[in-house]
Amino acid sequence: MSTRYAFSIDLDRCIGCQACVVACHAGNELGAGEAYIAVRDIVRGQSPDFWGSFAHQRCFHCAEAPCVGVCPTGTLSKWNGLTVVATEKCSACGYCTDACPFHVPHIYNNHVSKCRACLEAVQDGQLPWCAETCPSQAIRFGEREAILAEAKGRAAALQSRYPKAQVYGETQLGGLGLLMVLLDEPAAYGLPENPVIPAAQTVWQTAVQPASAGLSALAAGVMGLMFLFARRQHAREKAALHGAETAPAAEAAPAGEPEAVQPGEAHHD
Amino acid sequence: MTSPAPRLVARYRPAQRLIHWLGVGSFLLLLLSGLALLFPPLAFLAAGGLSRLIHRLAVAPFVLLPILYALLLPRQALELVTESFTYTRDDLEWFKHMPAYVLGRTKGLPPQGRLNAGQKIHHASTFLMFVSVAASGFVLWFGVGRLGPTGHALAAMVHDLSMLGLSVLMIGHVYFTFLYDALSGMVTGFVTEQYARMEHLRWFESLTPAEAAAPASAAETEPAKEP
Repeated sequence: MSTRYAFSIDLDRCIGCQACVVACHAGNELGAGEAYIAVRDIVRGQSPDFWGSFAHQRCFHCAEAPCVGVCPTGTLSKWNGLTVVATEKCSACGYCTDACPFHVPHIYNNHVSKCRACLEAVQDGQLPWCAETCPSQAIRFGEREAILAEAKGRAAALQSRYPKAQVYGETQLGGLGLLMVLLDEPAAYGLPENPVIPAAQTVWQTAVQPASAGLSALAAGVMGLMFLFARRQHAREKAALHGAETAPAAEAAPAGEPEAVQPGEAHHD
Repeated sequence: MTSPAPRLVARYRPAQRLIHWLGVGSFLLLLLSGLALLFPPLAFLAAGGLSRLIHRLAVAPFVLLPILYALLLPRQALELVTESFTYTRDDLEWFKHMPAYVLGRTKGLPPQGRLNAGQKIHHASTFLMFVSVAASGFVLWFGVGRLGPTGHALAAMVHDLSMLGLSVLMIGHVYFTFLYDALSGMVTGFVTEQYARMEHLRWFESLTPAEAAAPASAAETEPAKEP
């Protein structure tokens, strides 16, 4: 039995300090301008009636991750509920950047750039950098069941102040590996209510791609076998023609058809 | 009626052969480098972007092929396109004999011109799928990151299916080439008289002795080798 890990982000506890962003950048030794996570302010309403929160843009570690589905090189894969990255395999094809319903993966410096869940730290029994650093305990990491139960408890407690408080990610795309405690509807944070893998992508992945490779190989195999038969047939015909060149008496054609290979009157004008 | 004909008949000009082999080279490079993203055992070619570099370098000669053909041999290029999209009653007759022809029998085939009906449909489908594979390829190349999941999947499907079509056409093309010993036409430019009679009788009979001897030497002076 493998563990299923998950993050949670409690947007009531988040103070927008950007410490997670800095810790992620430093801990993962990211390049200049590269970022796995981003935290931005959302402000709605007019003075003096403001409503504000923070939106976190980062990998949701979907159980049925579309990026893993389209990744042709095995760079992206699932490990204990997390979507991990083997950067050295990446071809920078960019398929994941189009497939992700959350617009998370990006191509940076000729390879994919997205949260790797600090895989080495997690395998070492430590917390990812963002969860380790968060000063307000807004970012949590652990076994998904416990993380989910905690998030649900938080959402229930928040509903007295925020009637629409809810947990985002319990069921979407097989259950997300990042659960968000929202204070409002997902749309308020720019999150899709019910992200899906579009039919075209499923058809492409499960039918068109295997069929393209399979049918080409099948055609090559079938024609290879046919060649053995057809070649002998043609050799017989050539031998007959060779005899016919000097004496235009054709080899016994079964249907008694006229000898088509004899130059003569063209029945065509 | 052809008078004492040579054993070998000239069929393809040097420029036609150059374009053909340029097409073969670039197509195979594109196919192999593309397979790196489709066939997991070849995925190592994709790491670091090697297969993508090869793919994009090979695109240049591939998409320039029709332009090169039109520039070097405008008359023949036009002829190829019009012939490939024009079908007569004879062609229908040829298709009826196609199953036997596929299995090595030319007997009973209606006499064919320079291109037989199968070659015409081969060229016509190649031309159409060339357009769709190139168009979807440019969409995938320049639209990456902006296509969205559905757009990307649709473009990728058109690209994959076009390549499936082109690959099957190529396999068939190689099949007939070796079945009917037609390779020399694209290597030396000459085919045997026997081949010409069996497969392209109307074309063979329409040739003047000079044309049959060497079409490339007279009017056409190997433009490919000038620069």
